[in-house]
Amino acid sequence: MSFDKNTNPLKLHHVIGDMEADYIYTPGIAGDKFFKTLRDEGKFLATHCESCDHTYLPPRMYCERCFLKLDKWIEAESTGVVDTFTLVSEDSNGDKLTEPVLVAFIRIDKTNGGVIHKLGGIDAESAKVGMKVKAVLKDKSKRTGGLTDIAHFTPQ
Amino acid sequence: MMTMSEKMKEVPGIYLRDAELKAKDAITFKWRPNAKYVWAGGIAYSRYLEELKNGRIIGRHCSECERILVPPRMFCDKCFRATDEWVYVKDTGTINTYSVSYLDADANRIKEPILVAVIELDGASEGIGILHYVDPKVDPKDLHVGMRLKAVWKPEKERTGSVTDIAYFEPIKEG
Repeated sequence: MSFDKNTNPLKLHHVIGDMEADYIYTPGIAGDKFFKTLRDEGKFLATHCESCDHTYLPPRMYCERCFLKLDKWIEAESTGVVDTFTLVSEDSNGDKLTEPVLVAFIRIDKTNGGVIHKLGGIDAESAKVGMKVKAVLKDKSKRTGGLTDIAHFTPQ
Repeated sequence: MMTMSEKMKEVPGIYLRDAELKAKDAITFKWRPNAKYVWAGGIAYSRYLEELKNGRIIGRHCSECERILVPPRMFCDKCFRATDEWVYVKDTGTINTYSVSYLDADANRIKEPILVAVIELDGASEGIGILHYVDPKVDPKDLHVGMRLKAVWKPEKERTGSVTDIAYFEPIKEG
């Protein structure tokens, strides 16, 4: 006898299962402090390396350049500049979004770092690289200690 | 501890402890990836599962070694040749081996044990059996190799084409 070749499992009797590969991510000691300060005080913290004159945001406990321990914490501004941006039309599962979302890498003022976040209050046509933006935080009661405590960045 | 280089003997920083990760005030992000899998029955197993919906158990016969394989396989694992025909077997059988489990499928400890057995179905060849539940009302002390059992089917409407279309096997009363 012969076998019919079939490469589509959905055509056969099949079972769809969910892989329960749960994980817990911890942002570490510096990240913990960063998110707690963002949640409780609405401020961005950064660490500064004096020997490299480099300011880390998100903060790092150790300088990535000279491996010095960083204990100089500074309060950064919640303003920055759009370094690059893109218009996202699919979610992380590849499903179409009803409304496309503007996502940008924002360099935070007076630091050497930045965050990837949504741009709000602006349409895709008027978004520009180099544009000055500021963070819009969620209402304090709705903050959970994560990057989503920032609702979005909006033009200054 | 890991040695990094001549200058650095230790990895800087602090090792994470479970208690810190689970501390109430620790910032953590919990996530379940949207990772799905599809398990497909193949030709033989698909037919087997569909037949269960009809309340029948089907196997495959190999005319070389004269064995009847249940669950069915399109290829004989003994003769390395394609099996030859479909045959129905009975929903009665004999315990080949069994286990009394005080752990559930997620390894939680449970008070009432789950009884499972490998059952050689009547009509299938010797040593060929399916793993299934035994009636939870059976006293674990009464379980024995060679015990005669019969399938208790779910009502036809509740069957989905799964081995659980048979709810469990119950002892056949003698006489």
